[in-house]
Order: sequence, then C-alpha cells, then structure tokens
Amino acid sequence: MTITHEGLAAEFEYVTRLGERKHISDAIDGTAAIMQEMAYSLIVGDNTEVDRLTLEALNSGFSANQILDDGLLNGMAIVGVKFRDNIIFVPEVLVAARAMKAGMAHIEPILSASGADPAGTVIMGTVKGDLHDIGKNLCIMMLRGAGFTVHDIGVDSSPEDFIDAVEEYEAEVVGMSALLTTTMPNMGRTIAAFEDMGLRDEVRIMVGGAPVTQDFADEMGADAYGENAVDAVDRAKDLVKLLEELKSS
Amino acid sequence: MNEKNSETDKNVDVAKAEQSLGRLFEMYRDMAVKADSVMQSRCPYKDADSRCHAKFGCRNQFFTNDPTAVPVCAGSDLIDYKEAWDN
Repeated sequence: MTITHEGLAAEFEYVTRLGERKHISDAIDGTAAIMQEMAYSLIVGDNTEVDRLTLEALNSGFSANQILDDGLLNGMAIVGVKFRDNIIFVPEVLVAARAMKAGMAHIEPILSASGADPAGTVIMGTVKGDLHDIGKNLCIMMLRGAGFTVHDIGVDSSPEDFIDAVEEYEAEVVGMSALLTTTMPNMGRTIAAFEDMGLRDEVRIMVGGAPVTQDFADEMGADAYGENAVDAVDRAKDLVKLLEELKSS
Repeated sequence: MNEKNSETDKNVDVAKAEQSLGRLFEMYRDMAVKADSVMQSRCPYKDADSRCHAKFGCRNQFFTNDPTAVPVCAGSDLIDYKEAWDN
C-alpha cells in the first residue's frame, strides 16, 4: 500500500474492517500526491483547499473522472467510515460535504458540458423565525449527491427570500424546513406568498422537519412532504418530473 | 471554466462519472440514515470534540474565555438535548 500523504495515511488508520481497508487502500494506492492531498483536505473539511487543489489538478491535466474518483470520493469514503464508527459526528460530515461541494463546483460544469444534465434546481431554506438547520443541511447534502443544483438561503428565511431565490435561480422546487411548532405556520404563509405573486404554478413546494407531517403539509397546500433527507430526494425527483409533464402538456 | 478545463472536457467519461456520482449518493444515503439514528440520542450540533455548532442559543452551551471559539457542549447524551434548546 502506498499512501504517501502523512495526514491521509493517519486518517486511513480509522478504517479497521479488513474488506474496507483493502477496498479503500486499492483505490488510493498509486494515486498522485495532489489527489491524496485533496482526499485529506476533504476529510478534514477544508473547503478552501479542496477548491484550490481541484482547480490546480484540472489545470495540470487531470481529468474530471480522476479528480472525482481519486481525490473527492476516496476522501468521502473515509468520512463515511469514520461517521459510521462514531469517530466523527454530523457537524464534521457536513463540513466534509461542504468541501465536496467546493470540488464539485469545478467538476459539474465539465460534466454538464459533456452531456450530464443536473437533476433540477432546488431552493432550500429554514422558515422565518427558525434557526435550526441540521435537517435542511442534511437534505441539501443528499440533494446535491443526487445531482440537483441546490441554492441554500439559510435559516430564518422570509417568504420574500424564497420568492427572490426562485426568481433569481429559476428553480423548479422549493424545500422548506421547520423544527418548531411555532414556526411551522410560516410554511403556509410562504406558500400563500407564492400564490399572491402568481408564481404558485411555476414551482413545486415540499416541506419537512421533525414536527411536520403529511397531514400538515396537505393542510398548508404543499406539493410534497419529505419525512427525512433520503425521502426528500425522492420527492424532489417526483416534483421535477411532475412539473416537466405539466409544462409539456 | 478556464481554457485548460475546456480541453479536459474531451477526456470525460460521462458513464464513468455517473457511476462515481451514484457511489457518492450511496455514501450520502448511508450517512443520512446514520444521522437519523445518531440524532435519537446525541445532539446533531455537537461535534466529535463536544463543540457546539448551533446558530441558536442552548442552555448546554458553555462559553470559554476565548471569544472567537465556538462554545463547548456541556450536555449529557442521557438527557433529551432538545429540552435545552432556545426557540
């Protein structure tokens, strides 16, 4: 096994299951120094370094495939093992996902130019009055992993923030999150604002969050309810398909 | 996209890239499932070093003398962490 990067070699020691050690070491073995540095930077969540290294690798002639497999995915594989084994927790996973996004920002345009289209554009935010963002951030990670272009408008987002973002990015889907029962009604107010602006038919709206239920989503007039981050991806895919069908009919 | 990147477009194996993105999605899915499970007993804003990354107030946040440092979580995983959250 040849992991020349000291930091990456240390991170690899967290991989203890024999089959995984072989699989991951085979993937890293013989990769270029810059790829090992990129994998390490992703594991520690250094998005600035991943951004810089991805650009440097592209300019040095590495292909998008090499960067994706040898740098970014090798790093994320170790993040996955560390999270599963309770060595790191949700905040570390989210900073690694942010680093992945920094690298993908250079890779995605190349894939797009080669014919790989994004799955759709989604605006994600936590509603007005709510500062809890873990659920939203996990959904964003999943949606990006599924090939969606996601614009995160953050926490405490007013109906105007959602509307402005939809208009700016021409999004097909809006995802709203709330963790508090006191802020849940702001989902309905945001949907009403889209109706008032005459934009309701242009966009599909999904909602989620710990206290949110399918009944509440129906009552608010949402198009879909995502029970968790995995479910949110399926709902977003359904909504994009539905919108395409409506537009073509 | 810069000039060099445009040249590399020709080298992209789209099918292979889609396979790689599929692998990434699988990794994320496993992590999201694990996150749901971890959140049953451990505050999701608490990192491996017990530092708090919440943007809202929580009674378990312990601020050190360093004003630039994120607060330390003083909560126990044996008690429902949501009870300590401010609205």
